[in-house]
Order: sequence, then structure tokens, then C-alpha cells
Amino acid sequence: MILLDRVTKIYNKKEAALERISLHVEPKEFVIVVGTSGAGKSTLLKLLTREEKPTTGKIIVGGIDYDKLKDRDIPMLRRKIGVVFQDFKLLDGKNVFDNVAFALEIVGMNSREIKHTVPKVLDIVGLADKARSYPPELSGGERQRVAIARAVVRQPKILIADEPTGNLDPKNAWDVIRVLEKINKYGTTVLLTTHNVEIVNALKRRVITIKDGHVASDEANAGYKLA
Amino acid sequence: MKSHPLTIFFRMIRTGGKNFLRNAWLSIAATAVMVVALTIILSAIVLNVTAHNAIKELSKDFKVSIYLKDDVTAAQRAPLEKALKANPATASVEYVSIETAKARFSDSFQSDQKLLEGLSLVGGNSLPASFEVSTTDVDKITQIGDTAKKAEFKSIVDSVTLGKTDAKKTIDRAASARRFIVNASIFSALLFAGVSVLIIFNTIRMAIFTRSNEIEIMKLIGATPNYIRGPFLVEASMYGIIAGLLANSAVYAAILSLGSKVSSQAEFSATYTFFTDPKTVLMMLGGAILAGVLVAVISSSLAMEKYLRLKKW
Repeated sequence: MILLDRVTKIYNKKEAALERISLHVEPKEFVIVVGTSGAGKSTLLKLLTREEKPTTGKIIVGGIDYDKLKDRDIPMLRRKIGVVFQDFKLLDGKNVFDNVAFALEIVGMNSREIKHTVPKVLDIVGLADKARSYPPELSGGERQRVAIARAVVRQPKILIADEPTGNLDPKNAWDVIRVLEKINKYGTTVLLTTHNVEIVNALKRRVITIKDGHVASDEANAGYKLA
Repeated sequence: MKSHPLTIFFRMIRTGGKNFLRNAWLSIAATAVMVVALTIILSAIVLNVTAHNAIKELSKDFKVSIYLKDDVTAAQRAPLEKALKANPATASVEYVSIETAKARFSDSFQSDQKLLEGLSLVGGNSLPASFEVSTTDVDKITQIGDTAKKAEFKSIVDSVTLGKTDAKKTIDRAASARRFIVNASIFSALLFAGVSVLIIFNTIRMAIFTRSNEIEIMKLIGATPNYIRGPFLVEASMYGIIAGLLANSAVYAAILSLGSKVSSQAEFSATYTFFTDPKTVLMMLGGAILAGVLVAVISSSLAMEKYLRLKKW
């Protein structure tokens, strides 16, 4: 599903943000990426969403070889990958329903289909009763679940969650993680980056540790190893 | 997942309309400047056509009279008639015999019996035969006179008169005013079109900044560049459409209120008829809207090129 082969990303000539990273993520896997700030986690995710291009190396996601990807094809690539951000990236002027519908509107789905699809996804993330609420009226955890709903409403094969629990209290953080596990159960590959030791240790999933731009460890059913 | 191009198209129009209303004051400013620019352009067209038709009407009576010597036969005057018709500045050539000249003179001075009695006392040959030549271009009228003054026609031509001097002066003044109107209008229209481009550029730039968060999210979740550009183009086009409608209405209000007062005068009747013809009304409206939309689309495209950064994803 995701393949990185000796990928290096250098922002300035002095230091590499990532250096010769090689990874392979199978379909339907739930993978946690951990690392300290500046270790290269965000760079890794930006390479996967093609916000950044690798300096060297090969990336293949969902059968798409990024070397052959033209700029005009990037929107189509992003439609196949759901992304959840630490700062939610919701539109405060749109209610929950419209924020989720936004992802369907841009691909040209008609209003009837949108009205049919969005409530189902809101139900999955546990926000069926908040459809008419606006983001500022919601808790952090609820906002993040709206962001997850928007990311999965197009049923992507891959969901990338960039520190989705970073701004949340433990209860809300666990609510978000439960939703991600649920989505993974439906067959979506989940790539989660987090700092939360408790969550990593409790989940017992594959954990990839990134340190100074290198893969320091990559183990199944693992715990948090940075300390 | 099924994508509906028409749904996307209508969604872009709806978003563009919302943005237009959301930035109401900026939209009004951008539209107002464009109304001024388009009104100047339309007024220039109206004034230009009015001046052109007025000059044409005045020129109708402006003829070259070539008076022939007594007893010139039809065979003798034929080469002169041929030469006059061959002149590119000639519109028409009419031969006026002595009898026709007398009849016209009598018609013109019916009320002046003393003059007519005097004419009959002087005798039949007091009015000479002549060629009356009308021209396509008043400025080239001397060319026609020069043709008649050639040496080969000296034996048959008595004298040549180039219309009335005061009429020529009036026509010259009208032509000069027309040139001034055209030049001043082009300059003003360009100036205001330039100001319009700058104001719309700035309005769209502000709209892009206002919606920067939304645009960033759209990029990240897979919107195409055209889907992002579309609403801005719709918004800018709305400035052009509304400005075109308002400018055309203003110019037509002037045409109808002023034109109806002078439409009975020969110099203006053709112009008034032309501009009140439904075809012309539609053409003026379509042209104004098209020009407005064109200026708006160009300036908004420049703003999007600079500030949307759609080349980097």
C-alpha cells in the first residue's frame, strides 16, 4: 500500500530532514510513527501527500509511483488519501455537516448523494447529533472527529493522521483513537503519528520510530521506545 | 465516486456569487470604476457615430459646380463627365442643362417676382449649363475641382466652384471635433480601464487572502486548480456583467432623453434611429458586458496567478 525506498529529503544543504528512509506498509495495517519534534515525522507525511518532493528515492502509494506523478495529477492523488491534521483545519463558518460535505462538493458529488452520505459518516465518528453545530461550539475531540469524518467520507484506502491527539485531553484523545481503530477495522490503512506514550503502549500496533531523520526501529506489537 | 461536471460548474457560480456579496463594499467599488470606464467607451461610440452622421448629412449639400461655356455639345462634355466619374472622390455626377438650371432657380425664388422678371429680361443664356458633382469625402473635394481645371477641358469649362466656404468651415470644425472626441475618449477609456484592472486585481487579492484558509484546505483535500479559480472568475465576471448593464443603461438614458429632443433635425435623425434600433441596443449591451467581463477576467487572472500559488501543491 505504501512503499518508500531510500527516500532522502534535504530542505537546506546543511542537514537532511530524512535520510535514506525505507518503509513498507501493507494494506489494512495500522502503523504508528513516533519521534521527537524535528525527527522527520511531518516531513514523512508531507512526502506521502505530495506537499513535498523527495530529494532522492522512490515513493509508491496505492500503486501510484510519485516519480511519474505530474503536478496536474496531485489533486487526484489527494482524493485517494485521507488526511487528518493536528490543528483540524476546519472551516469555522461552515457547520459540521457542511465541513464534511466540502470534501464531496469539490469532487462534484451532487447534493442528493451528499445528503445521503454525510450522515452515515457522522454516525461512524459519533457526531450524528452535532451535524448543525459549528466548529467553535465543539470540543477539541469533537472537532478532530469532524476532521476524521471529512478525511474518510470519500472512502480512501489510506488515512494519514498527523498528531491528531496533540491538542486533546486524554478522554478526547482516546475518543479520536477509537474512531481511527474503527475506520481501520473497515479496511482503511491508517498511518498515525503521535507523541502520546500511553496511547502507543496501549494500542500494541506496529511502531516505526524516527530519530534524526533515520528509522531507528520498526517493530510489530511494540511500545513507545524514545525514552 | 461519481463526479458531475455540471454540479461542479453550478457550485462554482454559487460560491462566486456568495463571495461577491461577502465582499460587498469592495465589489461595489470595483463595479463602480468599471461602470465609469464602460460609460466613457459607450459615450465615445455614440458621439463618434453622431459626429460621423452629422458630417455626412452636412456633406450631402456640399457639391462642386463645374459651369460650362455656352453651346457645349453633348459629345464635347462627355470626356469631362467620364473623367469626373473616374475620380475616386466622386460620389455622383449630375448634368444640369440651362433649362433645368432655370427651372430650379425659378423654384427657389418663387416669392421674389422682381428677380424672376429681371432674369427673363436678361435672356435665356443668363444661367449656364453645369455638372453638379457630390463627393464621398469632403477633404478631397479639391481633387474633383482639379480634374475639371485640367488643360484638356479648358475649351469647355467656364468656371469651377467648390461649394460654399462657410459650409466647408462647419464641416471642418465638426470633423476636428470628432477627431478630438475619439482621441480624448480612447485616452480616458484606457485610463479608467487601467484603474479598473488595478481595483479588480486588488479586490480579488483581498478575496484570496480572506479565503486563504479555505483555499489551503481545498488544496489538501484534492480540489483541482480550476475548482479553486472558478469562483474568483465568477466573482470578477459579475463585476463586468453588472458594470456593463449599468453603463449601458446610463448611456441609453442619455440617448433617449437628449436624442428625442434633436431627433427631428436632419443631422441627428439617422443617429437616433440607429441607436434606438433593437439590434443596436442588444449589440451595445452585449459589447459593454463582454468588455467588462474581459477586463475583469484579465485582472482577476493576474491576481490569481500571483497570489493563489496553484503551481505549487
